[in-house]
Amino acid sequence: MEDRSHLTTLKGAYDHKMMEVTLRVRRYAGEGARAHTETYTVDVPVTATLLDCLDEIKDKQDGTLAFRKSCRMAVCGSCGMRMDGGAVLACKTAMKPFVDAGHTVTVSPMGNLPVIKDLVVDMAPFWSKIRAIKPYLDTGGAKAPEKEWRVTPVQGHLVSKEALCILCGCCVSECISMESDPDFLGPAALAKAYRFVGDVRDGDTRARLKDLSGAHGIWDCTRCYFCNQRCPKGVDPRDAIAKLGAEAFREGLTRDEGARHAKVFVNSAHKGGFLRETELVPKTIGPVAAITQIPFALQLARAGKVPNPLAPHKAKDNAEVKRLWKLLESQAPKQKERANSGAPIDGTES
Amino acid sequence: MQERYAYYPGCLASLSQKELDSSTRAIAAKLDVELIDMPSVTCCGAGDIHEAKPDYHLHLSARILGQAERSGAEVLLTICNVCTLNLRQANSKLQNDPAELARVNDNLKATGIGGYNGGVDVRHLLWEVSQGEGYDRFKSVATRSLEGLKVAPFYGCQILRPAKMLGFEDPDRPQSLERLIEACGAEAIDYPAKIKCCGFPIVLAREQVALGELVQPLQQATEAGADVMVTPCPLCHLSLDAWQKKASDHAGADFKIPVLHLAQLLGAAAGLDEQTLKFRRHITRLDDSVKGKLRLPSVVGR
Ligand code: SF4
Ligand code: SF4
Ligand code: FES
Repeated sequence: MEDRSHLTTLKGAYDHKMMEVTLRVRRYAGEGARAHTETYTVDVPVTATLLDCLDEIKDKQDGTLAFRKSCRMAVCGSCGMRMDGGAVLACKTAMKPFVDAGHTVTVSPMGNLPVIKDLVVDMAPFWSKIRAIKPYLDTGGAKAPEKEWRVTPVQGHLVSKEALCILCGCCVSECISMESDPDFLGPAALAKAYRFVGDVRDGDTRARLKDLSGAHGIWDCTRCYFCNQRCPKGVDPRDAIAKLGAEAFREGLTRDEGARHAKVFVNSAHKGGFLRETELVPKTIGPVAAITQIPFALQLARAGKVPNPLAPHKAKDNAEVKRLWKLLESQAPKQKERANSGAPIDGTES
Repeated sequence: MQERYAYYPGCLASLSQKELDSSTRAIAAKLDVELIDMPSVTCCGAGDIHEAKPDYHLHLSARILGQAERSGAEVLLTICNVCTLNLRQANSKLQNDPAELARVNDNLKATGIGGYNGGVDVRHLLWEVSQGEGYDRFKSVATRSLEGLKVAPFYGCQILRPAKMLGFEDPDRPQSLERLIEACGAEAIDYPAKIKCCGFPIVLAREQVALGELVQPLQQATEAGADVMVTPCPLCHLSLDAWQKKASDHAGADFKIPVLHLAQLLGAAAGLDEQTLKFRRHITRLDDSVKGKLRLPSVVGR
């Protein structure tokens, strides 16, 4: 290392310690090629991130290694990839803990998206889902305010988490419902959808929720919470999907099987105290489809899995739960809160 | 581990998975732990009420937590992943937001329901017996070694993720079930889908999507040579056990892998019999070889 001892004020700033990092990297040259794993060892500062290590490999050992990056500071959303099977931002993942633990990590491309080369995935399906939810404000023909929309801090906070999304795709990588149904809109697009459904300036709420309530929409989510676990920005997409579900309910959009399923639970708590499982099948999938479930239901009944519908279990003190339900329903807002388009909020012009 | 718990079996163990309830009560007695019943609690809403009517979910949870608090216990014991996450989510909100707690208590009071002061922790049986004193106690009662039994642990989702609400162990590399399987003298089988989803939340509304999810753990556990699977969640159990035939048809396979509740596995190792563990209530039957490896006392059910 060159002598910087003359830099008295910055003394220490340059003499960083180094560490040796070994990485196993999934390599794939593109269509027709066979994927394989290669192992690299690099010498990097102890502060190095996974991205620093990949840069070091690409600069000094193997220029053919392909990966995306730009900002190096968890803002642009380019560097999503899997480390030991879970999606991370390479630029936000410090390597020292793994070195200290003596663990060699394996790096591979994100899941649920086609691989183009090495760690680079094709984001086209991701973008088409984002586009499908109409990712822009639609005031629903409302006249634009003379000066500006008035949004209180509380109203703005309704979508503050969803607004943090950097469109990196980490949440999509391990989405279980998307593994099973590739057309599922998925966590990133649905979080983005709530960013507009929950926006007090947006006027297209009902139509948006109607679209989102259909096939491949909010009721496809299996609540595995991988998206919340993976998101590097704290968006918590699963929570956003739950908020969409609540908004759909408020709008009375409960025809989808998923919404009907939820409705049985809502009703059972105050009507029977416990979930009435016997009602679940017919109410969720409708009486006609339920007939096809009869042999299955009989099988469950034989094993004693279906409680006797003639003797419904009642949680004690059910009346109080009923009163609670009525009170909360009377308190619940019937309409979406809208932004104030003119008059000052607190009576003082700012 | 506590000496006494407010016991919340949830609706599945109370209604259709009674074998889970009886096994849990029996293993608690073996561990010399008191389970206090809360006779007037409702269903936790299983994520559905939480999604459709979030405020109702919060109040129902506060009502349950309040009853637990008044029982004198410091911990509410769950035996279901979904109950665990639901109640912990509500509890975290109530404990960390005094204004919300006050609003909820006002509403409870207005409807003649006892309030909640935020003094209860929600913990799953798995967490209580897989570490510390609970683990030691279990080890000392696990006198019937299940040597030779290969067990595929299936965690399910909502006991691992989101870790910031659950936080018991590394959600990508959990070890608690493995630790208990080994404490039973059995062998834990490893397979990637052990932390994935059983598909239960959408099995009625989106059956094809759910079956696609359910096939993964069944297939991998079978291929890895497991004799049985074990899960800490009755919803996962229902999927893995009752929907197994449908998953077979979906995958063009022939899965025949019995699925045990965690409390049943612990119970077998602690010397409990079929009378209590009620394996006969499962849809996917235990064959003689598995029964032999579970070393159940000879008079077993059908
Ligand atoms: S919670 Fe829903 S959206 Fe999120 S990863 Fe799981 S299935 Fe996908
Ligand atoms: S929600 Fe989070 S993980 Fe998903 S794309 Fe946005 S920032 Fe990335
Ligand atoms: S390089 Fe921009 S987010 Fe990592």
